[in-house]
Amino acid sequence: MVAHLLRLKLRLLGNGFKRSPWQLVGVIIGGLYALGIVVMLSLAGWFTAEQSDLRGWIAILAGSVIVLGWAVIPPLITGVDLTLEPQRFVHFGIDEKTLARGLILAGFISIPAALTLLAALGFSTIWRLDPAVLVVGLLCALGTWLMAMFACQYLTIVATALRGKRRFRELSFALVFLLLVGLGPIFSTIGSNADSIVEVLKPITSVLGYTPLGAFAAVPGALAAGEMGMTAIYAVLALVYLIGLYFLLTGATGKATVTPPAAQRASTAKGLGFFKLTPATPAGAVAARALTYWFKDPRYALSVIMVPMLPVIFYFAGGSTGSYTMMLLLGPMIGILMGFAISADVSYDNTAFALHVLTGVSGKADRLGRVMACFVLVIVPLILAAVLPASLTGQPWRIPGDLGLSLGAFLIALGVSSIASARYTYAVPLPGDNPMKTPPGSGARVVVTQLATFGIMGVLLIPTLVPYVTGWVLHSTLAGYITLAVGLVTGSLMLFLGIRIGGKTMDQRAPELMQSVMINR
Amino acid sequence: MNSMALEIRNLAKQFGDKVAVNNVSLQVPSGSFYGLVGPNGAGKTTMLSMATGLLRPDQGSALVNGVDIWAAPHDAKATLGVLADGVRQFDRLTGRQLVTYAGLLRGMDREEVATRTEDLLRVMDLGADGDKLVVDYSAGMTKKISLATAMIHSPKLLVLDEPFEAVDPVSAANIRDILNDYVSFGGTVIVSSHVMDLVQRMCSHVAVIDGGMLKASGSVDEVRDGMSLEDRFVDLVGGRGTSEGLSWLRTS
Repeated sequence: MVAHLLRLKLRLLGNGFKRSPWQLVGVIIGGLYALGIVVMLSLAGWFTAEQSDLRGWIAILAGSVIVLGWAVIPPLITGVDLTLEPQRFVHFGIDEKTLARGLILAGFISIPAALTLLAALGFSTIWRLDPAVLVVGLLCALGTWLMAMFACQYLTIVATALRGKRRFRELSFALVFLLLVGLGPIFSTIGSNADSIVEVLKPITSVLGYTPLGAFAAVPGALAAGEMGMTAIYAVLALVYLIGLYFLLTGATGKATVTPPAAQRASTAKGLGFFKLTPATPAGAVAARALTYWFKDPRYALSVIMVPMLPVIFYFAGGSTGSYTMMLLLGPMIGILMGFAISADVSYDNTAFALHVLTGVSGKADRLGRVMACFVLVIVPLILAAVLPASLTGQPWRIPGDLGLSLGAFLIALGVSSIASARYTYAVPLPGDNPMKTPPGSGARVVVTQLATFGIMGVLLIPTLVPYVTGWVLHSTLAGYITLAVGLVTGSLMLFLGIRIGGKTMDQRAPELMQSVMINR
Repeated sequence: MNSMALEIRNLAKQFGDKVAVNNVSLQVPSGSFYGLVGPNGAGKTTMLSMATGLLRPDQGSALVNGVDIWAAPHDAKATLGVLADGVRQFDRLTGRQLVTYAGLLRGMDREEVATRTEDLLRVMDLGADGDKLVVDYSAGMTKKISLATAMIHSPKLLVLDEPFEAVDPVSAANIRDILNDYVSFGGTVIVSSHVMDLVQRMCSHVAVIDGGMLKASGSVDEVRDGMSLEDRFVDLVGGRGTSEGLSWLRTS
């Protein structure tokens, strides 16, 4: 039975590559990148081996990061490959214990897991000076890896149970996302206040050694330092944690295999919402639908969160370097990013796009509606982001230029996106999926399309950038006004052309677009 | 009024080296209730997708009420309502919003859309669920709301791919009443289905499609030729196994 499940998992992994050559390219690029990291880590381990006073806590830190990473990132953010989700086995009368064991083992078979194991073993070269410690170090690396796998699987099951409630799912993305975005500023603040990183981390690591996160990783350090008592304590703790976690996991897996998925509580919305506010035209309807999605669909909601988050990040980044120049670029950044946000619109619609094809709505109305929604949502924050930094820092001469570049960037981005989304689709998270999850191997195509889109926006922005930079250097308000004029004129022109060309493209290619979104479902 | 609600001329589609639809021609008279039957993978959905503008054919054309859907898509789609199989809906909208959306996309005015949306929700038994998000609907409710989006602009031709799949018997009966009523006032309906019994009772005409080819078409009585439609279908399509198949399944 266990062997069966392992073979099934291997087969699934293999078949995943067969789906498209692009996918394989993506996986290979990703794999090479990850292998690079593994080699780097191994080298890092090798060269820190002589730092006898540091290596102990570095090892604990590395081990803890591995376990914590596996415990948090897959269950909450990227989502786990749930092809072997325990609940799928509800219908098979397989003995719970056997099934649990098989599923746990099958969970080890994944590319990230293999790479993590390699990295953990490679990093053990930090103990290369003493062969006996090295052997223990390698064993403990294996232990750390097992702990990481168990923790990941256990928390995934717990999270899956909680996720039955869609609200929880959507909230958890937002929270984790905010936390991640906020981590940088928090660390940079702590870092600039402490005398050295070591002083911050040392007490943390000594605590981590007693927790499931770092217990295994702490063993070789204590052994190398000759502290036999501590070695024994760490080793016993580590084994107890691992065995305890294993029992928790088998219990939870077994239970999940016999528990049907929890029912969801339906959510409601009163009345027609945005459909009442927008004009009763096809374009207006598309705008209302898009606005609803901006708020209801977590894939868009992430972009919405970016708007208030960017200033915060820039502010803290400015705080740690002492220069707030970046804040002046907020407007253009928000403009480009939010304009870019609609460039994958049709990919996000997925096969629901069929409604647009079947109703024969004109490409122009479709493009215009999506632009209107984004415009209405962004324009006020955009103007604030363009005007406030300059006026708050007492440089009012900058305002026209900032405003010009921000509006120009936004309008151009909207125009380019209107064409891009009518022409190119790529694999994006499906409606209702975890928005952070990128479909495997979509990498290469997404990167090429997005880079090209950004590149074209950049080129089209050059006429506006020239007077902007001139104004910045010369402190010239006149150049600022020129920026404003050029930005508005080129921006409006590009938006007009974008909607026209994009609309025409969509009219011609609607069935082809439809087929390309059918593939990704 | 055009005498043919849908005229399919030599439609063909090939995916890689698999021929999905092989040169099919079919005429659906106005005012008929036309059933399209065939085994799984016969090419029903592919053919309907090509006839409704969702999939570009390799060859051939489809005329909706006399207008070529590939030459003048906008005009053809104005008189056509489609329930496509295997596509999502904009399911973050509520049922009421979704139907409204479909109406507005067609360029109808707001009051008309509002009245018809309420009517459609009522006859689909979705009145109480109009404010629920479509993502929380059951499979059958999703079918019904999709059907409503296909009917809001009072099309002359309704093309329904598997409309009764997952729909409960009461709702199915209600939908049948609506469709019968629609046909008796001059509308034309094409339904694809696996349920022969249903097609035999409900439809005036039927076409049998298998392996991408049209096996038979005409009025139900012509096609079934004295047999039950189910027997005739099995006859045409073949592939019935012998009853010796699973001797070990006999429990006694």
